[in-house]
Amino acid sequence: MVGYLARRAGSMILVLLGVSVLVFLIMQLVPGDPVRTMLGPTATAESIAAVRADLGLDQPLVQQYVSYLGGLVQGDLNTSLTMAQPVAEIVFPKLGNTIILAAGALVICLVIGVPLGVLAATRQYSLFDRGAMFLSLAGASVPVYWAALVVISVFALELGWLPTSGMYDVREPGGLGDLLRHLVLPAATAAVVPTAVIARLTRSVMVEALQQDHIRMLRANGVPERQIVWKHALRNALPPIVNIVGLQVGYLLGGVIFIEVVFSWPGLGGQLYTSITSNDMPIIQAGVLFIALVFVVVNLIADIVVALLDPRTREAVG
Amino acid sequence: MLTTFDRRGRRPRAGRLSAGLLALALLVSACGGADAADDGPAGDPQSGGTLAIGIESDTDVLDPHRAGGWVTYRVNRQMYEALVDEDLSKTSEEAPIPEIVPGLAESWEVSEDGLTYTFHLREGVTFHDGTDFDADAVVFNVRRMSDPTFEFYDDRSAGQTVFVWQHLQSVTAVDPLTVEMTMKQPFSAFLRLLTQGGGGSTGIISPTALAEYGNDEIADHPTGTGPFRFVDRVRGQRITLERNEDYWGEKPYLDSVVFRPLPDPSTRVSALRAGEVDMIAVPSPDSVSSLEEAGFDVATSAPPHLWYLAFNMTDPIFSDIRVRQAVNYAINREGMSEDLLRGTTNPAYSVLPPANSAYEASEEYFEYDPERAKELLAEAGYADGFETTLMTSVDGSGQIVPVPMAEYIQQDLADVGIRVKLDTTEWITYLTEWAEGIPAGTGMAQMSWGMTTPYWLRNVTSSTLQAPNGSNVGHYSNPALDEVMQQAATALDEATADELWRTAAEIVHEDAALAPIVNDKAPYVLSGDVQGFVNPSEEWYDLTSVWLR
Repeated sequence: MVGYLARRAGSMILVLLGVSVLVFLIMQLVPGDPVRTMLGPTATAESIAAVRADLGLDQPLVQQYVSYLGGLVQGDLNTSLTMAQPVAEIVFPKLGNTIILAAGALVICLVIGVPLGVLAATRQYSLFDRGAMFLSLAGASVPVYWAALVVISVFALELGWLPTSGMYDVREPGGLGDLLRHLVLPAATAAVVPTAVIARLTRSVMVEALQQDHIRMLRANGVPERQIVWKHALRNALPPIVNIVGLQVGYLLGGVIFIEVVFSWPGLGGQLYTSITSNDMPIIQAGVLFIALVFVVVNLIADIVVALLDPRTREAVG
Repeated sequence: MLTTFDRRGRRPRAGRLSAGLLALALLVSACGGADAADDGPAGDPQSGGTLAIGIESDTDVLDPHRAGGWVTYRVNRQMYEALVDEDLSKTSEEAPIPEIVPGLAESWEVSEDGLTYTFHLREGVTFHDGTDFDADAVVFNVRRMSDPTFEFYDDRSAGQTVFVWQHLQSVTAVDPLTVEMTMKQPFSAFLRLLTQGGGGSTGIISPTALAEYGNDEIADHPTGTGPFRFVDRVRGQRITLERNEDYWGEKPYLDSVVFRPLPDPSTRVSALRAGEVDMIAVPSPDSVSSLEEAGFDVATSAPPHLWYLAFNMTDPIFSDIRVRQAVNYAINREGMSEDLLRGTTNPAYSVLPPANSAYEASEEYFEYDPERAKELLAEAGYADGFETTLMTSVDGSGQIVPVPMAEYIQQDLADVGIRVKLDTTEWITYLTEWAEGIPAGTGMAQMSWGMTTPYWLRNVTSSTLQAPNGSNVGHYSNPALDEVMQQAATALDEATADELWRTAAEIVHEDAALAPIVNDKAPYVLSGDVQGFVNPSEEWYDLTSVWLR
């Protein structure tokens, strides 16, 4: 197990290194000069050159990357080009906000998606099963942007139950309660697609699990059906569910960008969107790197959980 | 998000389904909503309350010298003041051009040769940190923007404000309340440019704060002399300002102001309907009438804004003046303003934006005349039309809805036989490409810009400012025009300067070097509780007169 973890951690660093090189190179290919943007249309060629030199943008590419990496190792994420602020000060609060949103969505996914799939599997081909699977197919196909507009108009404008957007009330920013009120709609909207995916997958692995011989034997031995479903069958069906949940976290982190835009949620996705449009390389680098990091870590955790749940995986990889 | 229509009222074929779903969502939202306003009598102004403003994007740095763009200046302007100011207490109808009024300088004199400006500073003004405002503070700030030998010189500030300080020779503190600036040449637009804030502004920062926080950190600790002082900023969420109780002038009614970035237009409209904000900037054109019906107030103005096309003078086709005239005649500006933009703009016929002393609204150079356009094309040898490319952004500050507008132009030009391909780029990349100059093979590029001084025209037409060394992106060159503009820029009195600027505009029209398209009315939508808001002939506003009932 220790060797397995060490190898996984090693490959994780390689993945992150690869991501940083890729992002760096891609941004070089994108046209657009951040300094020109910064100084506006009346800037002169001399003032542009002066600021470029100031920011080290006149140095060769390799040198720019190496000094970036050097800083990274020492925990220095550089300074934002457009905001003249340390990147860490911008990226970390935003990453935190994105994680809050993604975590809220994940809770909804798990609380609704897994039980829905299990119940559908136990009532295979029933009206409930068909209804639930139709809904989840629809859910998986809904354009997120549209869903967001609909929930805003229904729950915020029509019924007035919840705020339309933002993370806190701007006039009187409150505490946890204020945050939760603002979290409900974006988290629920972000959860639509992953919930549907999780429900469908849970149903199919549960259907399979419920047909296995040992389940039949448990039934023959008179073990109560409820115990069979929730304890024995689900226990065996869990590894693929955990895996897909891990992947859905990745989807959530990348996919909340639209949610963040529509709900004006001050997260990393929205920040990345703005930074990409203003060519703010240090922010883009750090943002993508941290999303990749969270994604890799979450999937590592998912793999460990699977290994713990299923000794066969552990032996196969260990 | 906008549902866009072509001129026959059809939605574009692509995305018709999603547009339909969207329309459904908008319909649902249009039916609901908080009641906007009780339209009782407003009564007397009262103090107190927090005004929440939904703005169209997060702001740049809160450092007036470094910041670029109108969105940021609208915030910085409430905290920072320049030596001279514009009177923003009147609407465009009352004052088509905002009058220049005293700011931190109570009065000033300009020497007869136009080379020396003497500013007499206001006494008893203090910065938000308690530092006294005096001549040394002014010199400190000007040197930060213009003097590379100064300890606090900042090349970003210099880059942004070069348009103001380009002719400055020296700045000296004559006594604690007198500052003298000398110029290398007369510069008739100087006072007006001191009041501008589209790209860099000249608001005076507390020298104590600058020394304490340094050039980079000052943006996190804004310290000016303005009617509002900085409270806090949470990036992407809010910027909060509060009343400056020690303000030297009329104190604001509002206790505080919150600027809330809401980049998505439909989110902005929803937040206004739900009462989460009291006013919003840049409503989507097709939401304005339903908001008005729901009882919201719409305040429009005539700011110095022009959405225009520049022609590529080095292009073999567009080097022919008849082609440029034909394009000008072929575009239905009225139709675009009314049908596509739902009255949120005015058709533009002058190459000078409104709200400057040389602007004449009555000029109608190229009224819509597709037949005339076809004749001109035939004369030029393009009876069967030709193919060309139009560069446009997809969004951006002041750009309104660039792609539907470019598509509208595409259709108008197709009607006279010109087949236009659109080359669309996102805003920041577009700005860079645009600033490099229109590339070979591309005939036209659009931009939206303007200032409250006719001096602006020089930026986009002077042969000395051809891209990439300036914003004359079509490489337009007319020595006669250059000569007139040089005289105008160095004229000693405004009347002479204005006359010369009008002559300059005339020359640009005769050369058909640009195609003016529309002037934005810069609508703001306000809930009925917001009183005293004035949308002046500027791209920004004053909040001291605003109160909540």
